[in-house]
Order: sequence, then C-alpha cells, then structure tokens
Amino acid sequence: MYALTGVTRTFRKHSGTIAAVQDIDLVIGDGEWLAIQGRTGHGKTTLLNLLGGLDRPTSGTITLNGHDLTAMSENQITRIRAATIGFIFQTFNLIPTLTAAENVQAALIPLHIAAAERRERTAAALDSVGLLDRARHLPSELSGGQQQRLGIARALAKQPVVLLADEPTGNLDEDTRDEIITLLENLRHQNKLTVVLVTHDTSLAYRAPRVGIMRNGRLSIRQDHDRATT
Amino acid sequence: MFFVTYLRRELQHRLRQAIVIALGLAVGIGLVVTVTAASAGVRQAQAAVLKALYGVGTDIVITTAAPAPPKPGSPGAGKYQQTFTPGQKPQNVSELGLPPGLGLLGSSSVPKVARLGGVAAAAGGLTLANTTLTIPSIAQEQSGHLPANATGSTITVDGVDLAHAGLGPFASATIRSGRSFTAADADRDVAVVDSGYATASKLTTGSAIDIAGHAFTIIGITLQPQGGGSADAYIPLARAQALARFQASDLDGKVDAIYVKAASAAAIPAVQNEVAALLPGATVTSSASLAGAVSGSLASAASLAEDLGRWLAVAALVAAFTIASLLTMAAVARRVREFGTLKALGWRSPRIVAQLLGESAVIGVAGAAAGVALGFAGTALVQALAPELSAAVANNPGSAPPQNVSLNPGSGGIQHHIAPGALHTVPVHLTAPVTLTAITVAVALAIAGGLIAGSAGGWRAARLRPAEALGRIG
Repeated sequence: MYALTGVTRTFRKHSGTIAAVQDIDLVIGDGEWLAIQGRTGHGKTTLLNLLGGLDRPTSGTITLNGHDLTAMSENQITRIRAATIGFIFQTFNLIPTLTAAENVQAALIPLHIAAAERRERTAAALDSVGLLDRARHLPSELSGGQQQRLGIARALAKQPVVLLADEPTGNLDEDTRDEIITLLENLRHQNKLTVVLVTHDTSLAYRAPRVGIMRNGRLSIRQDHDRATT
Repeated sequence: MFFVTYLRRELQHRLRQAIVIALGLAVGIGLVVTVTAASAGVRQAQAAVLKALYGVGTDIVITTAAPAPPKPGSPGAGKYQQTFTPGQKPQNVSELGLPPGLGLLGSSSVPKVARLGGVAAAAGGLTLANTTLTIPSIAQEQSGHLPANATGSTITVDGVDLAHAGLGPFASATIRSGRSFTAADADRDVAVVDSGYATASKLTTGSAIDIAGHAFTIIGITLQPQGGGSADAYIPLARAQALARFQASDLDGKVDAIYVKAASAAAIPAVQNEVAALLPGATVTSSASLAGAVSGSLASAASLAEDLGRWLAVAALVAAFTIASLLTMAAVARRVREFGTLKALGWRSPRIVAQLLGESAVIGVAGAAAGVALGFAGTALVQALAPELSAAVANNPGSAPPQNVSLNPGSGGIQHHIAPGALHTVPVHLTAPVTLTAITVAVALAIAGGLIAGSAGGWRAARLRPAEALGRIG
C-alpha cells in the first residue's frame, strides 16, 4: 500500500522555483488500479517518478508497504525498485542491442537469481504477453505494439507488487492501444497488482475504477461513484 | 554471463566507434613502444661504447692530469723535450711514453683504492703511446728527401695488470686467435694486438712488433667490441713500466690509470667520493659521468630519445587517453536513456559503471594489441631508416691539454702530437629492441587508458539520477 503525505516536488529553473507536484495526500491500496490523468506539464510523470523512487520529494513522505521511501538511501530504494516495482514507459525504453529475452533478463539481473530460474521467468513473462516466439528478436525487429508488450513482460518478469505505467499507449495506434490495455487489465487481475497508470487519454483513464486528475501539480481524486453522478 | 552478452552486443553495435577509440589508444601505445625501444637502443649503444672504453665490469677510472710543463727555455724545460740530432745515417727511434697530458699515479695507490669501502676490485694500468720515427740523415734533410717514416707513426699500447686482467679495457677484448695473457707472461716481451691493427699491419700470432726498441712476440689477436679500439697493443704492465719513459725516467711503480669495480651500482657515488678524498687532484670518472662526455650523433640521438621522444610519447598518450575519454563520455551521453532505464529496473550504479568499464577494458586490450603491433612496425621502421650514428669519446679521460710536446722542435720538420682528451669517433648501429617489459608497460597503459576512459564515462553514468535520465529523452 502506498501512502503519500504532503508530497511536494519543486524544481529550480532560471525563471525561479516551479512546483511540479504540490502538497499531495494520497493512499493507494493493494491491488488497486489508479489512473492519473492530466494535461502535459501538470506533474503526472513527476508524481509517477516519486512513486517509483526514481525521484525524491522536496517535502512530504511516501511509504510503500510501511517503508518510508523518502528516508531510504539510494541503494535501499534501488533494491525496492528491483524487487517490488515494475515500470512501463511510453517510449518502451528497451535496450536496442539486446534481444527480447535479454531485455526481460536485464530486469532480473539485480535480483541475483540463478540463471536457470532467470530463463524460466523470462520465458513465462514473454509467454504471458504472447511474445515467446520472438524471444531472439531485437526490439528493432518488433512492431510498436510488440515492443510495448515486451516492455510489459520485462516489468512483470520480476513479479512486482506495483506496476507504474507512464503513457503506455502514447506511441501506439488505437487498436494496439486497446490490445495493450486489455492485456494490462488481465495481467493485473492474474497477478493481483497495484497499478498506477499515467495518461492524458480520458477514455483510457476512465477504464480505471479510480482516477486522479493532476492540475498545476495538485491532485484531485474521483471515484467510480463520483463519475456516475457527474 | 549476462555481463559478457551485454558487453559483446554493445561493442558490436558501436563497432566503428570502438575501433576509433582502440586505434587512438594504439597510436599512443605504438609511439610509446617505438620511443621506448629507440631509447633503449640508444642506451645500449651508449653502454656498448662506454663498456668498450672502460672494459667489462669497470665502474670507475682514476687518472690524473700531467703537471703543466715549463715554457721552452725555462729551467727544467729540457726534461719535457726530446731532441734528436741528425747524423750521417738515418736513425730509427722507437719510444714508449705517456700520451701527452696524462699524469702518473703511484702503483701503491692501487691497493689503497682496493681497500676502500664499496670497492670490489682495483687494478692499475698504463695507457701509453709508442712512437716510431726515422730521423733523417743530414744529407736527406739538406736535400729535402725525407724518409717516408719521418713524420712518425704511433700506436697505442696498454700495460695490462695480469693479476686483474678482468678489469680495464683489455677485459672487453675477445681473443680471436692465439691466446690471452697468463701469469707467467708478466715479465715476458709478449703482446696481444687488436685485430684492426693486426690486419692493417699484416700481423699474425707469432709475428713480432717493435715496442720501445724491443721485439714483442704476438701471442694473440683480439677483437674489440663496438666502440672499442682504445689500444692497438696490450703488453704486461711490468714490461710497460720498465720500458716506458717519462721525463727521462722509467715508470717503475707508476700507473696512469686505476680501474675500479664497485661492489654495487649504488656504491659508485660513495666510492667516487672516497677516491677523491684519498687521491686529491685525481680525476675520478664513472661511466655515468663519461656518458655525459660522449658527443656526436649518438649523444644527439640519446638526447632526442630522452627528451623529444619521451615528451612526444607522453603527449601522444595524453591525447589518446583524452580522445578515448571524450568518445566514451559522448557514447554515455547517447545512452542516457538506456542507463536511466537500467536504474529504473533496479540496476545499481556500480553495476552500470562495471558494465561500461568492461566495454572500455576490452577496447583497451584491443588498443594494446594493435599498439604493440604498431610499436613493432615503428621499431622496424626506425631500424630500417635510422642513419648510422657515431659516438665521439675521449681517448684519455682526465688528461690535460698538451703543451710543448714535440719531437725535434729545433728543426721544425718533425713534430708528432697525440692530443690528450682528443676524440675518437666510433660508428654505432642503432637497434631498437622491444623488450617484454616495454610490451607489458604498453599493454598496462592501454588497458589503463581504456579504464580511464570508461571511468570518465562511468562517473557520468553513475551521477545520473534515473528520473533525470529518463526525462531528458522522453
């Protein structure tokens, strides 16, 4: 479970200090799917980075399953990221020189598991996204949808408890977008994952039971029943 | 295993850049190998010249300058002049004497020097010149038909301490035919002659040569090493002392050089100081100090190799390392998103840096291999293209300039000088040996260069905050 208390992240620019995220209080329960919607530059990605321990808040605290991420050393956060958090990126962020299987294995390296188990988990992850037959292909030999499915396989191979997705369908056409979102929904159910999905796409955001709207760094939450009444 | 796979894939992907970095390192390493080899070659040549001059195992030579003779006409000046009066018949003269300018030391100094701390052995020697003249008859002088030998001919003669034949110039000579001296030869008129002199004078073992009017039987022909040839003939020291003349006296109990072997190279400076205290006024020359007196193209080459070559190699290395570092940092800059992604996946910075260092080390090894090959090619080129060098070395280090040394000064017709401190030029062929040490150093340098480049890139990668790395591109 995530718990954010008074989280603020400011950046110093030439023109002064900019608050990308301002005073956010938020609780995300285990197995919950939260979509964060908002226009570009309103702090969605910054919030996601804070949740993933990729960045640290200027003030406030973030706890994940009772562990205060803001009080941890870089090494401790890295360990949490390696074992607990899966990332999916808009631009896929695959290593271009590694094959599909090796890209998935790259996520398992920090876990220091045996090579045989690594291969098993890799095969299972690729199978779960329908890419087992493309294990030896380079990312450049895959379509955009296949590359994102590979990104999802890489995020899931480590068997995380949290999946953070930053515009996962932003670079995909409509059909592929639906395919990817359906895949994510299924995998979430199967793996009982907590999912935080950042998107500017309203139709996509509203497939989540709970939606947060980011505006000027501030977050407002709408539940299913709120939407039903609006 | 994943480390190797990732490393291999990255290098394959950036093959052209990897080759450029490796070649940059290779050029630097190749220059270092070539310059080191050329420098070693010059040092070897210099050492060979000095070894020949001193003899194997001789670390220090002690000589003394002759006292300045009085001016002609002043009291005692006659002792410094030899005058021959022409007679009715031509006269043949064979004189064994000191080379001008070289003074005498007492033989008793030799055991004193041998007892000094840090001295392993000491031996006395006499470096002499045997001059053969034909004094023309009165009739020849008046007619102007001087004999062919009227201007004289001189050979250099070394008196060898047979008890310590392993010290001094004779030690570096190799017997080509006949035999060397034995202890039984100490009082015999026997000589070992240099092969060059023997060939020029058509001498063989068993022949005789005239030294101070005595017929010396040649018992052996020696081959001098490169740079040698300090003496045309070697005779037992006792005979040299008995036959040589200086200021109308023989040289019994005298030597003009003491050859010293130090207990260790480190002891040489201390021994020099001790000798200077024991024999004030003597000239104490070590091979190191004599090396500074070697002139000619060998000295120029040594200076070139030591100064320009060294700095050229250092500059090339620094340039190669800098280029490699900049290219690696540029590669890191292009892989910012990749490293950000790896950090997001849970890779710790040291693991990413290690991956980069691995890639750089492989490039460094490739650069080392290519650099060593370039180095061998460079040294081959140096050996093929290097002009023949020459070393000019002093004949009698420690001697004083000659003054008033002439034969028959009255007639003005016959004068013969051997300038002390005069130089003899030795041709030296420059080799450029590539040693295992040089190769090891080159390989270590190349790998170090690769690792420095990798560290520069790794430092940049390690400093990247994952959010910043991901955000910079996305």
